[in-house]
Amino acid sequence: MCRYELKKVFLKTGGKIALLLLLFLVGVTCYFATNIFYVDGKGDKKYGPVAVRELRAMQKEWAGFLEEEKIRQVITENRRIRHSKEALSDETRENEIAYSWGQGISEIRNLLNYSYASHFREYDYYRADSLSETDAGDFYANRVSLLKAWLDEEAKDTFSDKEKAYLMDQYHRIQTPFYYNYMKGWTQLFAFSPTIIMISMLILGYLVAGIFSNEFVWKSDSVFFSSVYGRNKAVTSKIKAGFCITTMVYWGSVILYSGFILLYLGADGMNCPVQADISGWKCFYNITIWQKYLLVIAGGYMGCLFISFLSMLVSAKTKSTVLAVMVPFVLIFIPSFLANMNSVFVNKILSLLPDQLLQMEAALNYFSLFTIAGRVIGAVPILLVVYAALTVAIGPVIYWGYSRKQIS
Amino acid sequence: MELKLSNLTKEFKDVAAVDHISYTMTTGVYGLLGVNGAGKTTLMRMLCTLIKPSSGCITWNGKDIFELDGEYRRLLGYLPQDFGYYPDFTVYDYLMYVASIKGLRPATAKQRTARLLKQVGMDKEKKKKMKKLSGGMKRRVGIAQAMLNNPSILILDEPTAGLDPNERIRFRNLIGELAQERLVLLSTHIVSDVAYIAKEILLMKEGKICVAGSLKELLAPMQGQVWSLDVSKEDAETYRKNYKVANVRIIPKGVNLRILSGQRPSENARPESVLLEDVFLHYLGEGMVEEDVSI
Ligand SMILES: Nc1ncnc2c1ncn2[C@@H]1O[C@H](COP(=O)(O)OP(=O)(O)OP(=O)(O)O)[C@@H](O)[C@H]1O
Ligand SMILES: [Mg+2]
Repeated sequence: MCRYELKKVFLKTGGKIALLLLLFLVGVTCYFATNIFYVDGKGDKKYGPVAVRELRAMQKEWAGFLEEEKIRQVITENRRIRHSKEALSDETRENEIAYSWGQGISEIRNLLNYSYASHFREYDYYRADSLSETDAGDFYANRVSLLKAWLDEEAKDTFSDKEKAYLMDQYHRIQTPFYYNYMKGWTQLFAFSPTIIMISMLILGYLVAGIFSNEFVWKSDSVFFSSVYGRNKAVTSKIKAGFCITTMVYWGSVILYSGFILLYLGADGMNCPVQADISGWKCFYNITIWQKYLLVIAGGYMGCLFISFLSMLVSAKTKSTVLAVMVPFVLIFIPSFLANMNSVFVNKILSLLPDQLLQMEAALNYFSLFTIAGRVIGAVPILLVVYAALTVAIGPVIYWGYSRKQIS
Repeated sequence: MELKLSNLTKEFKDVAAVDHISYTMTTGVYGLLGVNGAGKTTLMRMLCTLIKPSSGCITWNGKDIFELDGEYRRLLGYLPQDFGYYPDFTVYDYLMYVASIKGLRPATAKQRTARLLKQVGMDKEKKKKMKKLSGGMKRRVGIAQAMLNNPSILILDEPTAGLDPNERIRFRNLIGELAQERLVLLSTHIVSDVAYIAKEILLMKEGKICVAGSLKELLAPMQGQVWSLDVSKEDAETYRKNYKVANVRIIPKGVNLRILSGQRPSENARPESVLLEDVFLHYLGEGMVEEDVSI
């Protein structure tokens, strides 16, 4: 039965086109995600496999624990490059050459800009240039003191004392020194993961939207509901089909995407803490890059399941495919309109909306805390639990509503 | 085997589409005749558990069909008036899918599908997509679909609509074949579809069954009330105003009228034997379309 439900979706011209479109968009995203460059010793920009190979080799030279000694070396190396005659020259080409020397330390240099900032929310690209070797010892201490200063002043009313203590504790608890490695594969993968996941969501939203309503559109409802299983097993098989489509389409595109990026850019650095990269420096979840990847793809899956189940519920209740197709759009795009309201309360709500699951990368960096039964907890675990529960709850609601439908 | 309707009523906002109908059916063909909007489809939908009655009930061997639920639907075959299908399915896939939701085991489903495809003459087209079939072919798949589970109750809503005369005769014969050992309820507004194969004919008007019985029982009371009369074109108008006229035919001298009347309408009128069309006209008050009478 479920096999035929899948056929109903994929034999349609629209269904086939949607899959081809998805494949095309995954391809385009892979292209942009892997389109990194490297500047060679002559100041020329290089793209493609050469760039990956060279950049990887240069950054790998600096792989290892970011101890005081290593930070000091980075500060020295950075100053040497910055004060070279090539860097100070008025000629762009000369500047490019100077830039090329710095590619090995560029990621660590970025961390310095954050760590030695005068302010928690500040990022000054030139901050690293004004450091001296004696500063090296403060690298990790700064991370904590900037947070503390921020919590005491700017964010003083945003968090409760308990929440502040929790954040400080998370910052203290992280194991230092961080292990650093080349991890362009992962950072690029994370940067484009919301794109891939949202594209998959919109496409599979389109695919599942008709599962229930099309019986009415096609007028096949009379035969369907007058059959033995029309008000029980056949409805279950529709829900199963929706689950299968979501699972296949989501994992299909995520595996294709991750596989391509990691094969092309390399999977090095999976055991580094997320804080060893600029994208996760402030993150208060103490996890590794690999764990972050698992959270990103599991969250994406959870989000897609929830949204497609909601879309199926609308499809079953309203008999309208159009309304059902709109569900993912509304859930994905409405929050971005509300995001500008800048109210603590609204932001808290926003951090719990299902679109957050589709962009775990951002959700992990979001300072949104909740106190539940005396325990402080971040938004990410709440999102995973709440939407898993809601998805499980929607199934029976769809079943109940659809199996009692009257034909008009 | 007994399907019993008691005081069955379905109201939509302001109209009573089915109005306190009580009737009992057993095996054999039942022909449901009625003009557009008489309530045929509504009645059939209730019999298929697709809509709930506003009041009254339907029982199968004494048990309410809505309580029997799946158990009742297992016995049911339904060809809707608005027969919808999955446009991209092949005929074969379509039938196999319907077989699966009708709870047939795959082996049985294959056997029955193959046999029914032959029976309705669609064996050659089984690989064709549903959306590429002609109207008549779709109807044939429709009836095959209804027969898949070898139903004890077969409900066909205007199965002959849109068929050419040849097809219609084929269909009539097919239904005659299928009708053994089961209850067939067939709706139509084409009298000839049911005149010869129905065990009982039900005339429906404005949600009510106004008369029902075998062909003989329906014809008997109208014996001697049907006349044939040749008149000039001018006189024809007057007769059409004063009498129920079942048929008008142009003849060399003027027109020939078929008139329903208790008294002889004119000295020249010749008595005719009663046809079901006349009964239909008498009760439902509408003339038949010429092509329908010709079959
Ligand atoms: N879903 C509905 N909502 C409101 N009114 C309806 C609905 N379905 C049918 N009706 C009304 O009920 C009456 C009977 O309709 P029904 O379709 O049962 O007639 P029918 O005998 O099948 O006619 P036809 O020969 O045209 O198929 C009509 O007046 C129709 O307008
Ligand atoms: Mg009808």
